[in-house]
Amino acid sequence: MLKMNNISKVYQTEMVQTHALRDFNLNVEEGEFIAVTGPSGSGKTTFLNIAGMLEPFSSGEYLLDGIDVGKLNDNQRADLRNQKIGFIFQGFNLIPDLNLYENVEVPLRYRGIKAAERKRRIEQCLEQVGLASRAKHLPQQLSGGQQQRVAIARALAGEPRFLLADEPTGNLDSLMARQVMELLEQINRDGATIVMVTHDAELARRAPRNIQVVDGQLADFTLYQGKPNVAVGA
Amino acid sequence: MLEIKPIINALLRSKVGAVLLLIQIAITTAIVSNAAFIINDRINYLNQPTGYEEENIFKFNVMTFGTGVDLIQQIELDEDRIRQLPGVVDAVQISAIPLSGGGSSTSFRLKPVPEKSKSVNASYFETDEHGLNTLGVNLIAGRNFTQEEVVINRDFTKYPNVALATKALMDELYPDGDGLGKTIYTGDKPLTIVGIIGMMKGPWMKLEERKDKSVIIPMLDPSKLHQFLVRTESGRRAEVMTQIEDLMHESYDKRVIQDLTGLDKKKADYVAEDLLMMRMLVILISVLVLVTALGIFGLTLFNINKRTKQIGTRRALGARKSAIIKYFVVENSLICIAGLVLGVCGAVFLGQQLMAHYSVPALSYWYVAVTAVAVFAMSLLAVIGPAKRAANIAPSIATRTI
Repeated sequence: MLKMNNISKVYQTEMVQTHALRDFNLNVEEGEFIAVTGPSGSGKTTFLNIAGMLEPFSSGEYLLDGIDVGKLNDNQRADLRNQKIGFIFQGFNLIPDLNLYENVEVPLRYRGIKAAERKRRIEQCLEQVGLASRAKHLPQQLSGGQQQRVAIARALAGEPRFLLADEPTGNLDSLMARQVMELLEQINRDGATIVMVTHDAELARRAPRNIQVVDGQLADFTLYQGKPNVAVGA
Repeated sequence: MLEIKPIINALLRSKVGAVLLLIQIAITTAIVSNAAFIINDRINYLNQPTGYEEENIFKFNVMTFGTGVDLIQQIELDEDRIRQLPGVVDAVQISAIPLSGGGSSTSFRLKPVPEKSKSVNASYFETDEHGLNTLGVNLIAGRNFTQEEVVINRDFTKYPNVALATKALMDELYPDGDGLGKTIYTGDKPLTIVGIIGMMKGPWMKLEERKDKSVIIPMLDPSKLHQFLVRTESGRRAEVMTQIEDLMHESYDKRVIQDLTGLDKKKADYVAEDLLMMRMLVILISVLVLVTALGIFGLTLFNINKRTKQIGTRRALGARKSAIIKYFVVENSLICIAGLVLGVCGAVFLGQQLMAHYSVPALSYWYVAVTAVAVFAMSLLAVIGPAKRAANIAPSIATRTI
């Protein structure tokens, strides 16, 4: 599903060269639910951005569903993001001037899906997250947990095979965080591959596979086995 | 995919900036279309044909303070001496200067007073048989009056019985075009029209009812302050003008030469206010359009800064750069179209008010249409730069906490 080989990311300024990721290798199989943890500044967000094609990498190879991302132009990357990836952001990133229905509709419009099909999908996804009755509400009329559920509905609407979640419960209290996590687990059981960046160890333990990013490199653990199963750079 | 519906919904939910811009566009359209129409009206007015070689004609006043001189004899002598100057085509003493803003007018009638009759107001010039040639205007029918027909008069006991008239005047008095040879009246005095002149502006260019209607009457009625008109060969006016004062004083020095001025300069002085108004309007239009363009530019930049994260999120969700540009262009176009609808109504209303209160001609709707198209094009130009800037916002901004 996702394969990164020797990915490096270097941020270059006039004075300093910062290696955000170095020789990063990762293989994610279809249907996996992976939690990515690591200290601040370790490179988690850079990994997420590269995995989601939100920023280019400096060297290496990245295959998403067999497609060599490094060879795509900006438009092709945008189209691939739209078709294959659903994003869930820490700050929800809902558009404040659009109601819930219109927010969920955004990625579908970019894909050029017809209005009737859009309507079907939006209603289905809002139903799935339990907010169908509030489709006409604006984001600011909802609680944080509800907003994150709308963001999940938006991520699901495009029927992506791959969900990237950036601290999806970071702005939520523990009850809401648990609800969101249960929703993600359900989505994973329904077949979606999920990579979730989090610094919440308890949340990470609920994921079948954990990886840790330290100084731009990867340590891979499978927590339920109680020990690392892949060495750094695996 | 133009996203029109969600953009309209979003604008309706957060409308202050959009409404301000809309009002600005409406005001610009209303004012610019009317100002452009007035400017064009002024340009037509300033460039209207006069019938004169303005750059080859000049005038001057003679103020005689000496006594014991026979003014009529002196004028005939002066005219002869000026005509002898190299480069002079003709010269004449005349009662009014064309295009100067100052002259005389009266009513010309088909029947003498007190009989009821059609009456047309026209300017008139009193001069001798050299007047036609000095003015350089075109006689399109009939003949010039002769020296014998010129009345030299001090006390109005004699009045000429022939005259020349412009076609514009004769067409109004005789719509069938058979005015040549007919007698018209000023008061109860008959004048037989022996010649018809083509284009010849009177002293006034802006008085619509009489600017093209003039009569040349063969009469000399000089006072101590009288004026001469001189036409020179092409390119020799300045050379002739420098010799006038000396020439006049050589034959009689108890007089002052004043206002030695080219006809083009007289006209420029006369239309100076109109020219100033036109320039002010051009500046007003330019400033308004610039302010509106800056308004659109500024509002779009403000929107981009306000929505940086939103734009990044849209990019992350699959928007191509072109979709972001399109979003801002469509949003701006929707505001602009609403502003233009309001502005077009405002322009028509303003045009009607100007016509009612300031005698401005009826606004041509072409000006409103062209202005609306131009304002729309300007708004597109103003938004495209900021929209491109928005499109270059990296999608990775979506994952940053800002």
